[in-house]
Amino acid sequence: MATTKLGFIVQRPGLKSENQKLALTHAIASQSVEIYLDDDDEVLCDVAFIGDGVLNCIKDQKTLENYDLNSTESHVKMGLLCDLNIFVCKEDLEKFGLSESDIVMDANEIGGDMDVRVVPYDEITKMMEEMNHLLFF
Amino acid sequence: MKLVTFVSDYKMTVDTLDRLKPEKLGIILCQNGVFHATTKENGNSSSLLNYTADYYVLKEDLESRGLTAENVVDDKVKVITFGDIVDLMFNEYDKTAWL
Repeated sequence: MATTKLGFIVQRPGLKSENQKLALTHAIASQSVEIYLDDDDEVLCDVAFIGDGVLNCIKDQKTLENYDLNSTESHVKMGLLCDLNIFVCKEDLEKFGLSESDIVMDANEIGGDMDVRVVPYDEITKMMEEMNHLLFF
Repeated sequence: MKLVTFVSDYKMTVDTLDRLKPEKLGIILCQNGVFHATTKENGNSSSLLNYTADYYVLKEDLESRGLTAENVVDDKVKVITFGDIVDLMFNEYDKTAWL
């Protein structure tokens, strides 16, 4: 049995490009790739928002109303619904004067069980060390 | 020259704004540029707000990022809509630039 671990690191603010949505979409897609793998193989993904990337997590994004686009917030919630581990760097949030109350933390309204985890950068470093592949967005 | 400049990035590595010397300068913060109006890093407002200029921030792009007029950290930044931008370009400024 082989487990491949992928870490998606989002370090830039969103909407100017599709970077942050690509990271989340790829991480979510990893949940369906198992149909192409051998029975005992699996792919596990974690997503971490660091640096300016934490600005992607501010809640109540109204992209659908203004631009007819799905928001990064909705992608984060879909990630939680797919049981991805989603981390947000505590130090970077604090640098911007933000706290857990300012960001999307769960996907309860669509049935998600997982919560976003606001953690010190050391913990994100630990996660990155455990990954087989790291992808920066 | 009366120049209105769109700033659409949060982290800028160019100093074009320092070199511009229009008689009247307007700065419209749009796309990720809206974070200049709302975000303090380590308690400090963006240095982009230090120019002698009229500042505007686009309401639609604030809302798209989960922000509102209440998040604007400096009173000199006026929240405007797309319609207001058209009025500014046609009535207040001779030229536009996009950084």
